[in-house]
Parts: sequence; C-alpha cells; structure tokens
Amino acid sequence: MLRYALKRLASLAVSLLVASLVIFLVVEVAPGDPASYMLGINAQPETVAALRTELGLDVPKYQRYLDWVTGMATGDFGTSYTYRAPVSQMISDRLWVSLPLALYALTLSTLIAFPAGIYAAARRGRLGDMGVMAATQLGVAVPNFWFAMLLVLLFAINLRWFSAGGFPGWDDPLQGIKALTLPAIALALPQAAILARVMRSSLLDILGEDFIRTARAKGLSRRQALWRHGLRNALIPVLTIIGLQFSFLLAGAIIIEQVFFLPGLGRLIFQSITQRDLIVVESVVMLLVFAVIVVNFAVDLAYAAVDPRLRTRS
Amino acid sequence: MTSSGHKYPGGGRRPGAEPPLLALDGLGVAIHGKPILKDLSLTLQPSEILAMTGESGSGKSMTALAAMGLLPHSAQITGRISLGDTLLTDLSEPQLCDIRGRQIGMIFQEPMTALNPVQTIGHQVTETILIHRAMTPARAEERARDVLARVGLPPDRFPLTRYPHELSGGQRQRVCIAMAIALRPRLLIADEPTTALDVTTQAQILELIRTLVREENMALLMITHDLAVVSGMADRIAVMKAGEIVEQGPTAQLFAKMRHPYTRALFEASRHRADLHGLTPGAPLLALRDVTRDYPLPKTRLFQPRQNFRAVDGVSFDIREGERVGLVGESGCGKSTLTRAILGLEPVQSGSITLNGAPVYTGGHPNLDVRRQMQVVFQDPYGSFNPRHRVARLITEPFHLLPDPPKGQARDNAISEALTAVGLHPDDAGKYIHAFSGGQRQRIAIARALIIRPRLILFDEAVSALDVRVRAQILDLMADLSRQYGLTYLFISHDLSVVRSITDRVLVMRAGRIVEHGPTDAVFDAPQDPYTRELIRAAPKLPDLKGETDAARPAL
Amino acid sequence: MNRSLILGLALTLLFVGAALVSFLWTPGDVEAINIASRLQPPNADNLLGTDHFGRDILSMIMVGARTSIAVALVAVGIGMGAGVPLGLTAAARKGGWLDELIMRGNDLIFAFPSLVIAILITAVFGPSALNAIIAIGIFNIPVFARLSRGAALSLWQRDFILAARVAGKSGARISAEHILPNIANLLIVQGTIQFSLGILAEAGLSYVGLGAQPPVPSWGRMLADAQTMVALAPHVAIIPGLAIVGMVLGLNLLGDGLRDALDPRLRILRT
Repeated sequence: MLRYALKRLASLAVSLLVASLVIFLVVEVAPGDPASYMLGINAQPETVAALRTELGLDVPKYQRYLDWVTGMATGDFGTSYTYRAPVSQMISDRLWVSLPLALYALTLSTLIAFPAGIYAAARRGRLGDMGVMAATQLGVAVPNFWFAMLLVLLFAINLRWFSAGGFPGWDDPLQGIKALTLPAIALALPQAAILARVMRSSLLDILGEDFIRTARAKGLSRRQALWRHGLRNALIPVLTIIGLQFSFLLAGAIIIEQVFFLPGLGRLIFQSITQRDLIVVESVVMLLVFAVIVVNFAVDLAYAAVDPRLRTRS
Repeated sequence: MTSSGHKYPGGGRRPGAEPPLLALDGLGVAIHGKPILKDLSLTLQPSEILAMTGESGSGKSMTALAAMGLLPHSAQITGRISLGDTLLTDLSEPQLCDIRGRQIGMIFQEPMTALNPVQTIGHQVTETILIHRAMTPARAEERARDVLARVGLPPDRFPLTRYPHELSGGQRQRVCIAMAIALRPRLLIADEPTTALDVTTQAQILELIRTLVREENMALLMITHDLAVVSGMADRIAVMKAGEIVEQGPTAQLFAKMRHPYTRALFEASRHRADLHGLTPGAPLLALRDVTRDYPLPKTRLFQPRQNFRAVDGVSFDIREGERVGLVGESGCGKSTLTRAILGLEPVQSGSITLNGAPVYTGGHPNLDVRRQMQVVFQDPYGSFNPRHRVARLITEPFHLLPDPPKGQARDNAISEALTAVGLHPDDAGKYIHAFSGGQRQRIAIARALIIRPRLILFDEAVSALDVRVRAQILDLMADLSRQYGLTYLFISHDLSVVRSITDRVLVMRAGRIVEHGPTDAVFDAPQDPYTRELIRAAPKLPDLKGETDAARPAL
Repeated sequence: MNRSLILGLALTLLFVGAALVSFLWTPGDVEAINIASRLQPPNADNLLGTDHFGRDILSMIMVGARTSIAVALVAVGIGMGAGVPLGLTAAARKGGWLDELIMRGNDLIFAFPSLVIAILITAVFGPSALNAIIAIGIFNIPVFARLSRGAALSLWQRDFILAARVAGKSGARISAEHILPNIANLLIVQGTIQFSLGILAEAGLSYVGLGAQPPVPSWGRMLADAQTMVALAPHVAIIPGLAIVGMVLGLNLLGDGLRDALDPRLRILRT
C-alpha cells in the first residue's frame, strides 16, 4: 500500500513540475513586456527598467522560472503587476469562494447521482430506469451557466427565495452557504446526470459478472447481491469519473461565478487577463492544475482502498 | 411427484427407496421463444451422484440454472422442478433465495471470476451462513474456518483475511466449494467445476468433491462435457443432446450398453486416435539448444536489484522432418513462452533456436525467411480471425511473408486449394468468419497455416476449445494433411489425450524445463519422471469396455 | 433503426441544416441594429423575438449554429487526428518508453481543463474563435488517445493479431489494417459525444468572452448579452439556451443510437 502511494506521489511530483514548466513557457511567449504595458507607451526607458527590476523581470528566464516555482512551494506567488499586492493574498481571498463552491457542487452531484444511478440499474429496463435515463440525457445536454440563469430567473427574480448574485462573505456561514446554493445546484445537476449514467452502466456491467451469480447461488436476492457485491466493484470506474469531474467543476465554477457575480478565482482570472497581469494568470492556472492533479492522486488512493488487488500488486 | 405418469428411462425409482431429492418433470425452457430444454425428466436420489453430459449447447448448464431458479429473466419455463416435497417452480423469489445456499449449493466453472475480488474469502464464506441467519457472526466465522479447512485451506496457511487474487485457481475453486457446502445443503450442483483447471488440480478437486459428497451425505448433480470425468465420478449418467436427455442410466450399465448412437459417438470421439501414417523421420528441422527466457519481475522493494522469472530454463530438443511431436505441460510451465520464442515473436536470453540451420530471430528482428517455413494454429476459433475481413483475405495473410506473393489467378488457385485441402468449399472464400462454426473456423485456421506450404506447423492448443466429435474430425484432418503434404508438427497442449492421439514423440515440460521425452506410447505407458507419472495418473480415464482387446483400447 | 437514432439524427440535421441555410438566407439581417424594436417577444415578424439591439433572434441562432458546429467539428478533428495515432502507437508499443511518454503526456493534458487551456491561450494571444478550437481540440486529444489505446490493447491480445505478427506484419501495419477498422465504430460514437461536448464547451467559452468575438454571432455570447435582461425579456436568455440543449441532446442521442445500432457493448468515455 505504502509503495503504491509513494509511486503515485512520485508521479504527482513529476506532473506538477512538467505542468509548471508548460504554463511558464506558454506565458513566456506572450508578446509584450508587462512593465511597458503597465506604464503605457510614453514611459521613460529608465522607469520601465526600474519597474522590471521591481517585478523581477530582469533576470534570465530559467532564473525566473526557478524563483516562481520555489516561491510557490513556500506560498509566495509573487507580486501582482497591476495591484502591486502579493498574489498569494489575492488568490487565497478568492479561493474561499471557489473551493467551497466546487466542493459543494461535488457533494450535491454525488448525492444525487449515486441513488439515481443505483435506482436505475436496479430497475433496468423498467419505467423508473427509463425515467432516470431520460432525465439524465437532458441533464447532460444543459449548459450549466444557462441552467444557472434559469435558476436565477425562477428562484431569485420570480420567487425571491435567493439573491440573484453576490457573496456576503463567511461571517455568517449560513448566509455564505445560501449564496452558494444556486451556483452549486447549477454546477452539480449536469455533472450529476453524467455521474448517474456512469454509475448505472458500471453497476450493470458488474451485475453480469460471475461472482454476482455466485452470490445469488448462495441465496442472496438480486437487491442484496447488488448492494453487497455490486456496489463496491462498480465504484472503481465511478471514482475515475469523479476525479475527472472535479476539473470540470473547477472550470465550471469559474464560469458560474460570472453568472452570480461571485468574487471567486474566475473573476480574478478574467480581470487579470484584461489587465495583462500575467503573473496572476500564471499562478491561478497553476493552482487549478495543482488542484486537479492532487484530486487525481486522491482518486488513485481511493482505488487502492476499494480494490485490494492494487494494494498488494503494482 | 411421478403422478404425471412420466417414465424415467434408465434411472427410475428403485422400489422401496426413499422419494427422490430432486425431480425434474417434463421441464422445458425457452428463451425468447427459442426452445433450449425440451420435456426433460430426471430424478436424483439423496446422496446419489448424477452426471449430466453432452456437448456445448446441449442445455446442461441451463438445466442446472433452472434447478437453482437462476434462469435469465427472458426464459420461460414449463414443467415442474421439485426438491423433496417442495415444488420449486411454484415458489416465490424470496422463498427460492431461502433454499439457495441452504438446501442447494452450487459450484461454477470459472474459479478466477466466481469470487468477488474486493472481499476476503472469509467474508464470502461467512456470507452464505449469515444471509440465511443460520448462526451468530462469531459462530459463522468459526464454521467458515472449519469448512475452509475441510476443503483443504487450513486457517493457519489460509487465514480468512485472504483476498481471492492471492490464491491460485485450484485454491479459489476450493473457496467456492466451501461457500457452497457451508450450510451442508442436501444437494450440490457442480457446473463443469474442473474444466478451467490443470489436470493435477482437477484430480484433487474431483477427489475433494467426491469425498465431501459421501461424508456430508449430499446428493451431487455434476455437469461436465468430459466423459472420462463422468465415468470416474457418477453413480448415474444422463446424456444430453440439443436440450433433450437421449439416454440415462447407472454408469456401468450405460457404458456397457450405450443404446443411443449419440452416446456411442461421444464415447468413440473421446477416445479417438488419429490414423498417423508410418514415420521415417528425415533430417533435423527445428533445433533448440539450451534456450532460456527470462521475464523481469516487478520489484517488491524500492532499492532491490531487479529479479527475473525464468519462464524457459535451458530447453534443448530437435524435431526431425516429418515428425509429429507433442509438448505437454500444465499452465504456467513455460510452453506458451517457448511457442512464442520458436515463432521468433520474442527474443531469448540465451541459447539458440534454428529452423533448418537458420536462426528464427536475428539482429533484434524475427527472421522472415525462416518464418516462411513455419506457421501456427491457435486455440480460440473465435478470436483467431479479424471479423471484418473475408475468408480469402484471412487465409492469404501469410503471403505477406513471401517476396513475390501470388496474384490474380494464382492467388485464387492457392485459396481454392487450401480450402479444399481442409475440407471446405472454394466458394467459402467470399464469406465472413461469423458464418462458420467453431470446427469450421479451425479448418480455416489450418488453411491459413497451409497456404504458404510451410514445413513446420505449430498447433497451440488447437483443438482444446472444440467439442469431442469435432475435435476427432480435426485430428483426422491434421493426420491426413501431414501425410499429404509431408508436414512436421509441434503440438502444444495441456490435454494428454489429445497429445497421445496425434503424436509420435512427446516432450513433458514443467517449470520451464523438459522433464521427460520419448516416443509417445513409451512415455504414456511407462513414464519415468515422477511428474509425468503424476500427470498421467491424474488424467481422468474412460472405462474399459468388455469385449475389447487390450490392443484396441487406448490407455487414456 | 432505433428511437434515439432517429430523434438524434433529426435534431442534429435540423441544426446543421439551419447553419447551412444561413449561408444563403436568414429571416432577418444579423447586423442590422434596430433599437426601436428591441427585446420584442416572439411574434409574426420575428418568430423567436428580437434581442437588445433589435436583431432577429432566429437569424442569430442560425448563424450562431455555424460557429458552434465549426468550432466543435474542427476540435473533434484535431482530437481524432492526433489522439487516435497516438493511442494506437502507445498500444502497439505497450510497456515501452513511447507508451509511457504518450500516456504521461495524456495525463498531463487531462490536468488542464479546456477552459484553463483557453485562459492560457487568451492570456497570450487575445481572445478569438480559434482559441476555442485549439483549447477544445487539445483537450480532445487525450480522450481519443486513451480510448483508442484501451480498445487497441484488448485487440492486441486477440489471436488474429498474433496471426498477423506471425505473417511478419509490422506494428504500424497491424494497427492500420487490423486495429483501426475494428475500433472505427467506437471512434464514430465517441466522436459524436465529443462533438456534443465541444458545442457545450464553445458556448461556455464564448459566454465568458474567450471564444468567438463580435460581430461573429455565437450562442454563448447571446446568453452573456442576455444575462442583464433576463428579468425584462426572459426569451432572449431562454431561446439560445434551448438551441444549445437541442443541438447537444441531438448529438448525444445520435451517439447512443449509433452505439446501439453498431455494437451495444462499446464503452464510451463520458466526462
């Protein structure tokens, strides 16, 4: 088990390193010098040079890469070109909106998808199954940001149960959760539709396995065989999808924040793009990629928890 | 139970005996309107062993599933199945669940997939007990330990916390048996319980089942295609063909009379020996010298030097022109690795493999000049062909090896000739592979091997997937072709009876080494090596028939 | 023919047809601004109403379909064109360094959601429809690579591949001659699914301003423009969304229908 975890950890480190290099190189080829951009066309060369030094742009590229990476490892993400504020501070403020939103949505999506998928698989081919499948077929097709707009139209504008946007902060956690509820639902439902379909087909695959027949021969009913032997085996492909979905949820959160005017990473990144604040873009992207890679690492560990074959082999 | 007036040919109820434990009465099963079982009547007495035998598709397994009440949803069932006084066909699903596992236990064919991979064996055995609320969890665990010990998995060596993937196939089948007998059912159903196992393991598992059934006073319904297994195990036999029982009766009586021609045909095919023409071996064709093949093992610790698994260990032998040589061994003995090495598909670590003096693998690549003289026929008639190509394209694939492959009329002639040689029609060239049965596909596979006129053909378990009657025909075809085309054969198989029926000389392989070799009859009649002796002793044997002389009777 | 196939095909053809017709004719002029008749609900002149500039929404939807379909189709092309050869190569060289490299590269791309790629590209080159194509296309590569590798690996276990190797055929030749035709069904079905995901992704990107730029009409930007007017004129927000749902639903149904028609056992990758 430890060996497996260490091996995964090593590959995680390599992925992070390569990802950081890719991000850095892509941003590096960006035309234009941030210092000249910030000071305008009429700036004095000396002023530009001074700013370049201040922003740490005057050292060789590899040095800047190393500074950036080692800085991030110690929590120092550099200084925003536009706001002259520490990027880490800007990010952590926004992270307190985006991360809870993504986790909230992931929880909702799982809570909806698991029962729906299991229910459909248990009633394969019957009316309940067809109903769930039709609903998920529709859910998969709905863009989350449009669904968000419909939710606003219904629950905020017409029913006035929720506010149409904005975020009051976490001073009152209940208010915070309330403000994130519509966005989380908008994010979660389309993902839940996909997850429910995967859960169903994975369970149906497992139900065709020999060991389910063995369980039935022992005297388990169909339902007991499904719960006791099907579910844990079916989880293996479902976990993969949950891992992949996390990156979609993060990306989706960035878009959904636009609908609800939430002060999250999405807002930060779009502002930074328009202001050519590349260090912020670079760092936020790295953070998103970091999150995805770490979640996939967690999924790998979850595999091992579910499947004993991975613990002893590999 | 017998009120419907059905007669039970052969078997029947013995006067004064207790009522049958299991009775099938006019059982019919249809799936999507297609009849699978037709008017099946059968009884099984308490503590009796009844074997159902027949070829694939005869409905044996379907009968077992019907008795368990585990037929697929789409199946419509007619007639009656009763267990003692209980009419199973009238029971609701929850009532059936109560009977399964408690009164009827079942063992399936494929031990590798019959166990849940993510649960411990202890959990799976205790589940049989707990699902029927037969004992407290603590008692159930104790019982699981006992029953696992009973099937040969003592708790000190096989604790309940083991997972299925940590066990071998034979051990897994023992776990399956433990699950089936944990509650001492009155009836045990075993569906081809040893078909997926090696011959020595098969002998052990059959012996285990036999002992358990006797000692625990269970009745056994055993389903197997193997007449030799049947003859060694069963009190009574029912022979099935196309969903019907064509003949049933006490074992000795049935084998002695064999009233139905189908029974006789099965028996004859099971002990069939191909008619090999007399042999005058020519010059050495294939020569192996001290061949060794290693595979790297995964490292178990981080800073440990890489370990190797030696799959083939210093193997040397010659095959002369015109010889038909068998290579037998159990799974994992290295015969498949050796086959790939001979074909030049993989390099060897040391030693040499030459065909007619030329190495099969040179400079990091297979030697195609040599490959041209050597072809292969694989086991699986369903996986051996690209389903998207027509037969003509399939069997001409080896032409790729020729510097100047025949085209146009010459190609058509070659195709027709190859198809005719294997007993098919030249018109079959335009068909897709799905139009052919398993036996016909193996004929096409042989045509593919034959078409570039190789000198050596390797048969890698080439008849193992076929039913006995088809197998006999294919073996005859092989014998014919070797005579007609002067071919040299290497038969790789786990099946001793097949090797015996078609080879002049045999090599016995174990753990990467050749442990014994010699003329086939000599090796089989007087094996020298202890392993060979064990193999031959373990192989199930068909009964001797009265009135046949020793000379006409094969030993296997 | 099954029901999903027919319904899916009908919906898909409806949108593709609308996009094609829009090259020749649209009910209104998508560039004509007419403030006087802005935010009109659906009526006889404007079947689907007008937007905040008074433009005919039906015409905008038709022209927008062009953008969506073009972006998603090219992105699928990029994904298949690069992903399938990579996956087949990895499978043919299973366990080798090339396989390892391709698969690690795949994992790396999977760590960059297409939105993130689009953000990066936009940060560097500025926003355009091309960005969306590249971002979605790059993300499609590992999808097809992984799918074709997985399918090819199980085929490589089959005896007919061994027979081809015995016939002296090279890995590349076997991949082209035996593997590719046998995974074609799978690729077609997955292609349809990726097409639908591409439509969704394009809409998302143009909604946040990282996709097609004005004056090129796109469904995503119609929604972005409509956002502030949801309360005033719900139809400007609802109709483009319905168009997206219709197109995506059509493609998904088509994919499922094709799968059932070609081979119900095909495994589709859904994310």
